[in-house]
Amino acid sequence: MSSSKDIKPPVIVKEFGAHHPINRMKDSIMNMLVDFGFEIIEGPEVETEEFNFDMLNIKKTHPARQMHDTFYINKKSNVLRTHTSPVQIRGMLDRKPPMAFISGGKVYRKDDDATHLPMFHQVEGIYVDQNVSFANLKALIYEIIHNLFGKDVELRFRPSYFPFTEPSAEVDILSQDGKWLEILGCGIVNPVVLNNCNIDPNKFSGLAFGLGVERIAMLKYGVNDIREFYKSNLDFLRQFS
Amino acid sequence: MKVSYKHLAKCIHSVPSINEISEKLFQLGHEHEIENEIFDLELTPNRGDCLSVNGLIRDLSVFFDTKLNQKYYDDRIENLSLDFTNNAKSKCTNISFLKIEIQECPQAYKGELDNYFKDLNLNKNNFFTDVSNYISYETGQPTHCYDALKIEKEFSLEVIDQEAKFQTLLDTEINLKGKNLVFKSDDKIINLAGVVGAKSTSCSNETKSVLIECAYFNPEDIIGKSVDYDIKSEAAHKFERGVDPTCHERILRRFLKVVEDHAEIKKVELFVESYDAFKPVRIKPDISKINSILGLQLKIDDIENKLTKLGFLKNKNFFEVPSFRNDIKNQNDLAEEIARIIGFNNIPVSKINIPKQIKKKEANIENKLKSLLIDYGFNEIINNPFVKAYSDQSIKVDNPLDSNREYLRTSLKCSMIDSLTYNERRQQDSIKLFEISDVYFSSGQKKRLIAIIASGRIGKNYQDFSNKINNKYLAKIIGEFTNQDTINIETISRDKMNSKINNHISYLEIETSSFNLNILDYQQIYKTPKSYQVYQPISEFPSSSRDLSFSIKDFDACKPLEDTVLSFSHEFIKDIFIFDYYKNENMKEIKIAFRFIFQSNKGTLKENEVNDVINTIIKQALSIKTVQIPGLKN
Repeated sequence: MSSSKDIKPPVIVKEFGAHHPINRMKDSIMNMLVDFGFEIIEGPEVETEEFNFDMLNIKKTHPARQMHDTFYINKKSNVLRTHTSPVQIRGMLDRKPPMAFISGGKVYRKDDDATHLPMFHQVEGIYVDQNVSFANLKALIYEIIHNLFGKDVELRFRPSYFPFTEPSAEVDILSQDGKWLEILGCGIVNPVVLNNCNIDPNKFSGLAFGLGVERIAMLKYGVNDIREFYKSNLDFLRQFS
Repeated sequence: MKVSYKHLAKCIHSVPSINEISEKLFQLGHEHEIENEIFDLELTPNRGDCLSVNGLIRDLSVFFDTKLNQKYYDDRIENLSLDFTNNAKSKCTNISFLKIEIQECPQAYKGELDNYFKDLNLNKNNFFTDVSNYISYETGQPTHCYDALKIEKEFSLEVIDQEAKFQTLLDTEINLKGKNLVFKSDDKIINLAGVVGAKSTSCSNETKSVLIECAYFNPEDIIGKSVDYDIKSEAAHKFERGVDPTCHERILRRFLKVVEDHAEIKKVELFVESYDAFKPVRIKPDISKINSILGLQLKIDDIENKLTKLGFLKNKNFFEVPSFRNDIKNQNDLAEEIARIIGFNNIPVSKINIPKQIKKKEANIENKLKSLLIDYGFNEIINNPFVKAYSDQSIKVDNPLDSNREYLRTSLKCSMIDSLTYNERRQQDSIKLFEISDVYFSSGQKKRLIAIIASGRIGKNYQDFSNKINNKYLAKIIGEFTNQDTINIETISRDKMNSKINNHISYLEIETSSFNLNILDYQQIYKTPKSYQVYQPISEFPSSSRDLSFSIKDFDACKPLEDTVLSFSHEFIKDIFIFDYYKNENMKEIKIAFRFIFQSNKGTLKENEVNDVINTIIKQALSIKTVQIPGLKN
């Protein structure tokens, strides 16, 4: 029998908390992009229509501007930003090319059902320089996707439409069960947008991309219901410690 | 939009397989799913021109040799004398009416009209409405059919700006509000332009004399109407995206041909008004610009060839954009057209070297705060900002989701309390949460706040288990990165909470800028992990706990007991931990107590299910020499 002194009390298990999985995912994406050379910039969630829509070539008649899609506040004097793109506008107005920056954070759309929430998170990036091409954009997107999902993942580019980019594309990855899953939107910055930001589109061009953080977090963590992220359920949150 | 594979394939000489067409549609950017040989397409909003069989065939003609063998009514059509006034010419620049009188309505359909209903498994309505729907499917141009006998001689198109009740042909009554573009007759609304017609003038199975309206409405005057009035309207979907302003007579002649194939026509007359002649967009392709946008080395012949295939008309050095393409305006648009034909996936990648930023190793106060709180067992939460409670500083949402979410929060407190009580209802007895968020005020001010809320046990290990969270505990933690004198930890009252739990609730809310940056060494806490843990679904069923307290006389038995109990696994056991430990040197005895948390993903556990598991644990534990459970009777 051991002496009393040899007997150690049970190890005290320290309980760590956890970063919220969405913030963890957002920040890990942003850190990756900082390593690529992007600078982080920030902007307000309460935005003007000018920055949220007009400067981004989203016309007054665009469906996204309707009351059923966008949250208007204080008697339509402002909106809750519907994407992080207005931060890009602020960034372009403040700088001169070449420039490469990213912004991430909360965005708001008037949706609330099993697959859409009124608040979610985006990370967007933009790079403006001379002769930035769609071929360059593809190289960057490959790098992002390979970093996030591994070098073996199969991806495809599909033509799409965003008023602020032209050409525009959406990128899908092939899941293990053989389904294509949409991961991000991207494109060549529309010359109208460059003009709006006092950048000469005859001299400069840009690439832009945007990722939905919840979408990527759901894929990475295997979460099937987006609403789980925002219930503040400790049984859920502690799984990410 | 749903399109039958058969209807596309019959317009392509080589009759490609469904997968070949699907692949090309994806390449062109026309996302879709396939079910029972039907393409369910989700087209981008700039491609209203593809919302039809003909539109898709026009796009597919860059890959396939296509044919549109549709027949048109070729005979001369008499002019229709119509007492119609367009009082909204800026909103409707082109409008035509075709009046047809037939001998009898057909008993059955044939040819493409029959195939349309059969292949897409659609319900029929009445003859003229069915032809109108088919023409819209085939050509992309919506038409509206009025029963000619139900319409007064005089009618007009105008903008109204007053509330008005409107009985739709769908048998619903809607209350028109604000500005609306409507057709009126005898001071009654007979059509919400581009969206839905009125019941009073709609066609029926008895209709033999019809007035068909074919118009171009400005998309901005149609956008949002179907959502505002909760009407599902294919026509509105097309007008919102823009239709071809030059196609009316061709469309009406096609309409007439389909009618002629089914019924004897007694009389036909046509009314055409155009107030603004269509001027095609002309663009001179800039080869170097297009190559620069795409990162390719195409020759001018390549570009011209591809644009011609899409219906662009070469006129000297310029290309005229087809009238059905309202989305093409500049070199970037042309570049996208070229890229779609080449295939985005076929454009080679070209690496870029973004100049690396010199990383500032600046301390990030939020990362420091998070690190410290996580180290003390706090979990980060994110709440949405919409609340019911408001202050005179609150921002009001003009169009809230509901009356409980009318304001933006100016404090995080309500959301934090909600999160705490949510977890208390789920039998959590140690709750430590924090949130960092911006809040916005009606004055235009913005604050970045950190809120911390804690209640219950400090921790579950045997040192902390009996200690309850109070303001002193929270102050001690906060004291590690700021001067305690400057913070005010609040006790949240439970008076208005509907809860039997009476644990103290400590709360702190403070601007993040209040904290001193130099307390902790900066560390970059977020790294892209090499692998991600896969989340385990959470049970929505209640949990229950059981405690087992053991007495050990042989100290050497303590570790085996710990190992045996802590490593015990069962589908019902969610957690096991030691919550009490005491070594009595005088009595030469160790007392150790374990707590077991039970929960199932399948249902609420019954007493006997829990007991069975506990008995198994007891049996294994008591097999270790000198281990006893005081008071346990065999």
